[in-house]
Parts: sequence; structure tokens; C-alpha cells
Amino acid sequence: MESTLRSPFSGAITIASLVFLIAPLAVVVLFSFHETASLAFPFTGFSLRWYRAVFASPSFLNATLNSLIVASVSAIATLVLGVMAAFGLSRSSSALRGPLALLFFLPITLPGLFLGLALLVFFSRIALKLSLVTVTLGHIVYVFPYFLLIAKAALDRMDSALEDVAADLGASPWQVFWRVTLPQIRPVVIGATSLAFALSFDEFVITFFVIGSQSTLPLYIWSSMRRTIDPSINTISTLLMLVTLVMFAVAFALTIRKDGMRAEVGR
Amino acid sequence: MTPGTSRRRDPVLLSFPAAMGFLLLLAVPLAVFLAYSFMTAGLFTVSPPFTFDAYARALGYGLNGILALNSIVIGLLAAAATVVLALPVAYWLRYCAGRWQMPCLFIITGSMFASYLVRIYAWRTILGTRGVFNQGLEALGVIDEPVGFLLYNRFSVTLALVHIFLPYVVLVLFAGFRPLAPAFLESAQDLGANAWQRWRRVILPVMAAPAATSFLFVFILSAADYVTPQLIGGTSGQMLGVQVQANFKAVGDWPQGAAISILMLLAFVACYGVTLLGLRLRRLDRIRWVN
Repeated sequence: MESTLRSPFSGAITIASLVFLIAPLAVVVLFSFHETASLAFPFTGFSLRWYRAVFASPSFLNATLNSLIVASVSAIATLVLGVMAAFGLSRSSSALRGPLALLFFLPITLPGLFLGLALLVFFSRIALKLSLVTVTLGHIVYVFPYFLLIAKAALDRMDSALEDVAADLGASPWQVFWRVTLPQIRPVVIGATSLAFALSFDEFVITFFVIGSQSTLPLYIWSSMRRTIDPSINTISTLLMLVTLVMFAVAFALTIRKDGMRAEVGR
Repeated sequence: MTPGTSRRRDPVLLSFPAAMGFLLLLAVPLAVFLAYSFMTAGLFTVSPPFTFDAYARALGYGLNGILALNSIVIGLLAAAATVVLALPVAYWLRYCAGRWQMPCLFIITGSMFASYLVRIYAWRTILGTRGVFNQGLEALGVIDEPVGFLLYNRFSVTLALVHIFLPYVVLVLFAGFRPLAPAFLESAQDLGANAWQRWRRVILPVMAAPAATSFLFVFILSAADYVTPQLIGGTSGQMLGVQVQANFKAVGDWPQGAAISILMLLAFVACYGVTLLGLRLRRLDRIRWVN
């Protein structure tokens, strides 16, 4: 049914906000294709020279590889632990659910600065050398709540009567999970895993404190930004956005399609 | 439930592996962090005795006061601007967008995934003396030479923070509008309520809680930011988070950095409590209008 509500004022604010959100990013993408080192208009012509320069840089390739490893391991660990935890919280009526939810969702409300510092202090206290391992541990703590939020919501919406039926018909709990529960939440779980990957791939605030001597893509951008005004930062930024956007599009398509737009996609 | 259908083990056990991980990598580190704020920094070590010295140093250092004030001002400005912008956007998307709703939501959610650092970098490029903004003004003849006041101050930090948090808040407020079916607003309109009355009497009671919590989160996350001020804050736009980071990275006074962090966390918990209490006193915390 067509709504009779009109608000030209809100419509204008919306258009202005969309421009505000997109324009700065569009400028970065545009200048990543610029043929000169100038970061100002007039835009003199397209060229892939900065892309060639970036892909010829060993430190860039190394940072990208590190980011891919960290994000993959974080996403897979989050997937396994997260599906288990979501199932546990959703299908139990235990009094422990409240305290557990508090523990699991704490990182969402805790600014990354404090999580990063607490981990730095802890790792130094137990004399664990900072490396990609410590980064991955930090990322799991950071992305886990978002995964849990989405997976738990999907399990809560699901009709658990089917599970009871399967159990009544003699399926073991393991069979119930694999043959009844998982097939119903699979798209959402894949979407949430892509989201976990994207969040980890892009993470800087925590990584900065727990990384040691290695580098990830956001750290590489950070150090480039500190050093110079280098046109190849546009290129690296564009590539970073491309990876996170593709993962996001996967997550969006898989988690949204069936459920309508959900707030769980938020931070 | 008959004994045959009841599960032998409580499924909550399945969340224990993750819970163990979170205790080890979240609860324990936060406890150690708290303990550090009471310890004393030696050469390469941090050790007992437990004292309030680090807090005394943190509070006695004049610069920290200025930086704290800056954090509060920038946090409040960013939070206010974000919520004020996001409310009409979420309203329009919910009630007026029609077939544009999904494309707009896709753009907004997509922009949320643009890297945090890339956003800061983008604003540095645009607002710089040789940036797009200055060039535009010059081309229009508004200015003769590039102006430097756009970048490296409170304004540029606030702008970048609004850019970072706007997509999240739009989505949260959009979800907040969900329980308010269009029919409620249409009825109010049909019964003669003008735009102001509809906002005041119909929308505000529903949106007070999501708007207040969004404000709170943008404020906390902005006030605790250490990256944006460091990259585009110049001297006037510096914030407390940068000082905390410096205590850990450059200065090496870990207890003082931990003490400042704990004080910030306490302030944030207080803000959180005040917001919840305010909503509860006005009975705005559990409104759920049905479709």
C-alpha cells in the first residue's frame, strides 16, 4: 500500500547525507586511477600506474598476505565457536545465559582502544611475543559478538519444533543439528562469517597495539599516511574497500534476502 | 516434555568454549589492565606496590585536563551532529522512500564498510590546502588562496567522526522506527496533527530510546578515539586517547596510561547509567507499539 506520508525536508537531508557519505570515498577511488601524482583537480587522465606500483611492492604484498591469513583464521574460529555459542544460548533455558550474553557482547560497547591496551598488557604479562597470533586472538574477541548477534537471531527466529520432531523420531542431537538446524541457518551463517572476515580484514585500532614487528594492510596504510602524501595510498585504500565491500555484499545478500533489512548488520 | 524428548545435556554447555576464550582474552586482560593502573613503572617492568600514584600523575598533569575537555567537546559535537542528521534520514527511509528504500540502505550499509583509516585519509585529501574543497572554492572565486583552517583542528576531526558513525546510527534508528507503523503517523495526520505535533507526540516517545543510545555510543566511541585526532587533529584537535596511546607506545608510563583509561571507562559507565536512568524515569525505555 502506498503511504500518504511525504517529507521533502527529510528527503533532501537524505540525499545530502548520501552525497556526504559517498563523495569522499569516490574521490579516493577516482585518484587511485590518476595518471599523475597530483591529488587535485583537474583530473588529467586515467592510468593504472599506481596499481602497478603497488603490486610491485613486496611490503604491500606481504601486508596483504598477513591480512588475508589473520582474517581467514579469525573468521573460521569465530564461525565454529560462534555457531556453538549461538546454539547454546538460543536452545537453553539456563540461568547462565544472562551472564554469558553480557560477557560475549561486552566488546561491542568497549572502545577498541581499551580492548587493544588490555590485550597488550595481558600479553606482555604472560610474556607472549606479539605477532600475527596475538593479532588473530584480538580479532576473534572483536568480531565474535557481531557473528553471535546475527547467528543467535537466526536461531531464535527458527521454528525449533522441527528439532523436537527429529529428536522424537530418534535422531541423535548431533544428527538434529547437522540435518535439521544447520540447513535452515546456513545462508545466515555464511553471511555472518563473511562479515567477520571483513571486520577483521579492516581492523586497525586493536591491531595497532598487539602486532609486534609485522604488518597488516590497515597498518601499512597507517604507516604510509604518517610518512608522506603518496598517491599509492589511494590505490591501497581502494583495494581494501573492494575486499571489504565484496565480503559485505555476500553477507548482505545472504543474511538480508530472507529476513528483510535487519539491524543486526550494524556494528 | 516427556523424559524421552528432553535432552540429556543442557545445550548451554556448547557456549562454554567461547566463554572460556572470552574469560581468558577479555575478562582477565581487563582485570590485569585495572591492576596495572595501581602499579609502578620501573625500567622495562611494571610491578607492585599498589598505589594511587598513577592516578595522581594522570590528574595532576595539566595537559590531560585540556585533552579531556577536547574529547568531551568533540564527542558531544560528533554525537549531536550524527543523531540530528540520522533522524530525518531514517524517517525518510522508513516512511517515504518507497522503492528507493533498498538501494539507499545498500549504499548506507556499504559505506559503513569503507575502512576507518580510508575515511580519515579521504578527509585529509579533501580538506587539505591543495585539496578538492579549496580548489572548488578558488574556482568559484570565493577565496583567492587556499585556506588552511579546514584541516588539522577540532572541525576536521568532528567531520570525519560523523562520517564514520552516520551509517551505523541511520541503521539503528531505521530499526527503531520499525514498531511505529505508517498507519499511526497517517492517523495523526488525518486527525489534524501538524508536522511538529507528529514529531513531538508520536515519533519522540518511540525514538527517544534508540536516539539516546545512539548518541551515547557515538559520544563514547568518538571520545575514546585515538586515530582520527592523531592523523587530522593538528594541535587544537588532540584528544585524550592520543595521550593514552602515547603513554603506552612512546612515553612508556603504562600505569599512567592505564589510570587515564580506567578514569575514562568510569566516566563512560556513568554516562551510560545516566542515560538509562533518564529513559526509565520518563518511561521511554520499553515502548513497543505493534504493527
